[in-house]
Amino acid sequence: MRILLTVAVAMTLGSAFTLYAVNYETRGLADDVKRREKSINKARRDIAILKAERAHLARPDRIGRHARALGLAPAKRGQFATYSISDPTGRRVTRRLGDER
Amino acid sequence: MSNGVIITPGLAHGALRRPEPQDDVLRQAQAFRAERRAERVRALVAIAVMGLAFLTVAGQLVRLAMQGQPEQRILINAPLATAFARPDIVDRNGRLMASDIVMHSLVADPHVILDQDEIADRLMTVLPDLDRKWVRNAIADRTKRFAWIRRGLSPAEAQKVHDLGLPGLDFRPELRRAYPLGRSAGHVIGLVDIDNKGLQGIERYLDERKNVEPVHGPSLSVRPPLRLSLDVAVQFAVEDELAEAMRRYSAAAAVGLIMDVNSGEIFAAASLPGLDPIVIDERFDKNRMDRLASGTYELGSIFKTFTAALAFEDGMSPQKRFDVRQLLEVEGYRIRDLHPAGRPLTVNEIFLQSSNVGAGLLALNNGQKRQKAFLKELGLTTPMSTEAGNIAPASLPVRWGDIETVTISYGHGLAVTPLQFATASAALINGGYRVKPTFLRKRGRSKKPPERVISSETSRLIRQLMRENVASKAGTGWRAAVAGLDVGGKTGTAEIAGVGGYKSKSVIASFIGAFPMEKPRYLTLVCLFEPQGTKETGGHITAGVNAAPTTARIISRISPLLGLLPN
Repeated sequence: MRILLTVAVAMTLGSAFTLYAVNYETRGLADDVKRREKSINKARRDIAILKAERAHLARPDRIGRHARALGLAPAKRGQFATYSISDPTGRRVTRRLGDER
Repeated sequence: MSNGVIITPGLAHGALRRPEPQDDVLRQAQAFRAERRAERVRALVAIAVMGLAFLTVAGQLVRLAMQGQPEQRILINAPLATAFARPDIVDRNGRLMASDIVMHSLVADPHVILDQDEIADRLMTVLPDLDRKWVRNAIADRTKRFAWIRRGLSPAEAQKVHDLGLPGLDFRPELRRAYPLGRSAGHVIGLVDIDNKGLQGIERYLDERKNVEPVHGPSLSVRPPLRLSLDVAVQFAVEDELAEAMRRYSAAAAVGLIMDVNSGEIFAAASLPGLDPIVIDERFDKNRMDRLASGTYELGSIFKTFTAALAFEDGMSPQKRFDVRQLLEVEGYRIRDLHPAGRPLTVNEIFLQSSNVGAGLLALNNGQKRQKAFLKELGLTTPMSTEAGNIAPASLPVRWGDIETVTISYGHGLAVTPLQFATASAALINGGYRVKPTFLRKRGRSKKPPERVISSETSRLIRQLMRENVASKAGTGWRAAVAGLDVGGKTGTAEIAGVGGYKSKSVIASFIGAFPMEKPRYLTLVCLFEPQGTKETGGHITAGVNAAPTTARIISRISPLLGLLPN
């Protein structure tokens, strides 16, 4: 009887300590999760702003202006090359660049 | 006294007897037993109470585990929600058109502000467009703990205000809608209010489709973006060419549309002067209205495609001749051609030379009832809508008699939005199938079989006519020709109805086109409002000299973008 009691008390104490440790670990993890979530949110906000900025910088009127300043112009006929490949049956077919779209 | 016996006089001897030793033991044993019984009862009660308590705890745990949390959270959140997280809007190729970003809003706590004037003055130094009086009033009431000063500061502005180090001011991160492309497709995109709720256009469609979540903090939406049918590059090319056309022909406004004739997907929809989605004041500017979907106009001779289609549909031969030399007198009105042919014209020639008299004769041949039914069947006079909102309904003539039948045959007396006109025309071009205009990208083929509205033969004849109208110099649309691509189309110059009749110098010049004509994929519509005669056009204001060449410029610019290469 006495042995049983001693074992029970020891187990109680042991589990109390374990619980205590687990509790603190959980809190630590929860803090960690919170911190990470915060940094994820921050990253997502930054990504949203960067994506908007990139879209703003890559808007067609700006690209077009710069391209023209560099002497570029919309594609014209005669600028598209043809090439020939074998189709699945082994026949040679002539295609133009851009046809695959 | 120790044994509890009171010795009283007179009661000595006899009355006072020493207790027997056996008695004592017996009594002690009895008392002990009673005590043990009481103890056991007490212990049982305690165990029962503890057991009950534990059962309660366990039961509560089970209940909580089974119920879960989310329901409670919604209950807490819903009434507090102050903003809406919206998904991105992207074009058909995934290029960003609208997005939520987190911006800082400036708020004040009037209770802790000591010197209101100083705050107002110093804020004015970094945000000069603030209204000083308004700011002063906003923070005047010291019993308040909260006041908005400016919502949606740019990061640079927020930093400047922060650097002032003024007490009682704070920042609150908020979701704000950003449109990186500015005015491009502004009419289609629509509008959101200060709390990021969609009010118009595609933004409103997002709200209606429940794609928007209420949030009470600056948390971005995690929903997939809404993919539109628009192509940012094509949209810009159309807007750019229309702006150029407005400048070149001194036009007051312009409309342009590129639509997939088979699926109804809209690749570009422009109405200039455009609209900036974040400048709310521009919505009240009548000149910036969406002429494509909200304005109804008499579009003129481009209606003759319907007139010719109806004639073919009812079995008229393209070679049948009509005498167009005389004035057409209907119900006391006289219809004449601007440049009379001087000889009888075939149905084809009526289309190519755009003869009003000829179109009137064709329409009278079909009759008023048939014309009305045909236009309805094409979807020209029935209500129509897109994801960006309802299209303004067509203005039908109050009385639809013979004279109306004649004027409608060449595009007067019936006002429709350019978008509805183009959608109805798509059926004439695509082989005879009804299309529904859409701003959303379609994936794969639709499972529903297409609904036929006219025969494929009629559609073939109309395509041939449209092609010939551009390919031959005899046609009115030859300036729409693009080298290496077979473009087809029809011109239309409509006088704008004003006070006391039509104004001959004030017209809407339109061109309805399609390409490539042997197997049409795209439909184009260009309308120029009130173009002026210039040196380049030889002083003319008809569609052949302005809308047609504008269409050519647009098509040659967008065809590589659409993967159509000139031969």
